[in-house]
Amino acid sequence: MTEITILVLYGFLVIITLLMQATGAMTQLGMGYLLSSRDENRTVSGIAARLERALNNSITAMVLFAPAVLLIVVTDKSSSQSVLAAQIFLIARLVYVHAYAFKLTGIRSLSWTAGLASTAVLYFMAL
Amino acid sequence: MTPELTALTLAALLQVVQYVLMAVPANIELGPGKTLSPRDRDRLGGNIQDMLSTRTARLYRALDNHFEGLILFAIATMVVTLGEKSGTFTTICAFVYLFARIAYVPAYAFGWSPWRSYIWLAGFAATTAMLIAALI
Repeated sequence: MTEITILVLYGFLVIITLLMQATGAMTQLGMGYLLSSRDENRTVSGIAARLERALNNSITAMVLFAPAVLLIVVTDKSSSQSVLAAQIFLIARLVYVHAYAFKLTGIRSLSWTAGLASTAVLYFMAL
Repeated sequence: MTPELTALTLAALLQVVQYVLMAVPANIELGPGKTLSPRDRDRLGGNIQDMLSTRTARLYRALDNHFEGLILFAIATMVVTLGEKSGTFTTICAFVYLFARIAYVPAYAFGWSPWRSYIWLAGFAATTAMLIAALI
């Protein structure tokens, strides 16, 4: 499995998170509000709100992770260690979304740290 | 440069245009005294976004939404290009995305509901299709 494949899989993870967040918002706010121009600010609560925060965090992580992978590939620095770092990132982010949704507080922060650390390792490898 | 990368460049330029479309009316409405300030909620009496007119607030949300779309689309174009999976299908997807995101801006600004959501869905589906095409 290459870093590029892992990046694609992470893209799918974000898409699935988005679809779950949208489902939660649809349940709480109603389809009519989502299809409207949303001029009145309505917010979700509970698991739908946690999924929204998890999604926002996943997008931040993606903005950092995607350039790291592209740098590794473009500069031909791909190795078994960089693949491992990317795999750790993917697993950590998969755990993160579940930990946020199901309120596993300590695990959420640990998996977030693992994801950020593996992204940082990829940048060091690209150097 | 693959056609997907051309679409990505144009989508990034669209984001610049969206910035201008939002920032110019926002500065006219709020005045530089507020926009250039640190935007502290306690000093402004709330979130600065809530002080915009309806249309400018919609342009703000449209800009915000395109950040999410653009990062996923950027990944899709890069992996299609680097994985040498570029073809007619991915080119069509890339331009569907671009035109959907262009249409999304007036759709939000003028409140074309529910068309805005369908336009968004077209861009989202095109990105997902490109990611799937990169894997097979």
